[in-house]
Amino acid sequence: MKFLCVPCDSPMKLQTVGPPERGSLSVVYSCPECGYEMAMLTNPFETQLVQSLGVRIGPDASSTEGTRAGGTSCPFAAMMPATEVALPDQAGEPIPVRWTSGAEARLANIPEFVRPMARTGIERFARERGTLEVDEKILDAARDFFGM
Amino acid sequence: MKGYHDIVGDGGSRVLEQVADQRTRITDGLAGVRHLVAVGSGKGGVGKSTLTLHLAGALRARGLRIAILDADFNGPSQARMAGVQGALFVPGSHKVALPRTRNGIGVFSMGSLIPESESLEFESAAQGESHTWRATREFALLGEILGSVEWGALDLLMFDLPPGAERTVQYADFLGPRTSFLLVTIPSNVARGVVARSVAALSKGPNRLLGYVENMSGYFCRDCNAIKPLFVSPEPFDAAQGRPSGLEIPCLGTVPFDPELARLCDTGIPLAELPETPVGRALEHVAQQLLDTLESTTPASAHGSRELRPGKEPRR
Repeated sequence: MKFLCVPCDSPMKLQTVGPPERGSLSVVYSCPECGYEMAMLTNPFETQLVQSLGVRIGPDASSTEGTRAGGTSCPFAAMMPATEVALPDQAGEPIPVRWTSGAEARLANIPEFVRPMARTGIERFARERGTLEVDEKILDAARDFFGM
Repeated sequence: MKGYHDIVGDGGSRVLEQVADQRTRITDGLAGVRHLVAVGSGKGGVGKSTLTLHLAGALRARGLRIAILDADFNGPSQARMAGVQGALFVPGSHKVALPRTRNGIGVFSMGSLIPESESLEFESAAQGESHTWRATREFALLGEILGSVEWGALDLLMFDLPPGAERTVQYADFLGPRTSFLLVTIPSNVARGVVARSVAALSKGPNRLLGYVENMSGYFCRDCNAIKPLFVSPEPFDAAQGRPSGLEIPCLGTVPFDPELARLCDTGIPLAELPETPVGRALEHVAQQLLDTLESTTPASAHGSRELRPGKEPRR
């Protein structure tokens, strides 16, 4: 979808994407010639249609911090309680496992719907090897152990 | 006044570019895969998933590098059958590593991520009305999986498709002309009729139809050590006697039903651990036919010209 400023005959540019509200996005465009602004307000079906394509909408769509149309970025957000399992220690309290920045960066590269399970599984793998820190060596060891 | 096609770009949303980028990621990610084979039918319950797994096992036993993508997101069965229900998805350097079975087959199945007590749910801004958007969302998920998994160098990537003749064609459209199709039927005129519709629909597109497998062609009775009829069909298919199946594609083999095989599937035990049986021999035959067909129909210029041969062992 494109927007044209008719008086200027100039394509309008996307400026901001408002946070979703009851399934509706507020996408503001402006004319670079005259500065006129307009907002496209989607209905929930339109929002869902774009969301179903698996794309992000925002001024900088390539940014991982961009806003995914329709709400949270994880398509399985509603299922997270079922997949994100805290692992208690013998006393029943979760043992905190620290992730190095390098390991966090690698985790951020994988699909969001896999991350919760990957995080808990890797932390379990690390604990089983007697460490409470996940670094890239632990990830490589887990990859060799479980992956192709 | 300018028209749509007079304007370059879309003002900043980059929706089309993102879709194109995703297609590029998929193409790049599958560049090391020699053959893409979708196992479909159109009919449900004919044993697509079972055949997919056991054909993969037979090919893996020959040393080939094999992976399965369980594309049946709503009824994933490969995770249980392949024994990867608790598989750990490990972040690689840029993508997620593909979990493998204990006999070295890579398997991606939503059944590894979602407990069997849960159904696949997507967050929905539309608050229901899923008939209007669900299929699009599922294909976007398929694209995300294809583009974000380390497929690496494979001889064969098999797609275990969901049932539905129209879905089979949608997958053909999505996966593109590189993907060949193997169809599965059973000796029932109802099943053959549905599969015939899939053949007709797929024949209109560019995808190669490798042939079909007739599954459950009798059952293996261990007491009698013989194959007995399982379905009573007015026109039973019998390649040896020249009885036609009604499907205008080659038959790559017939596979009888074996209750023991079903038990192995439920418990995630590879076929290789089953002593030699008529079913195992039938699967071996189909696997060889599949290889021969892939080799005979692959243009020499496409994706290299080397023959399928044992690859290196997956890293342990």
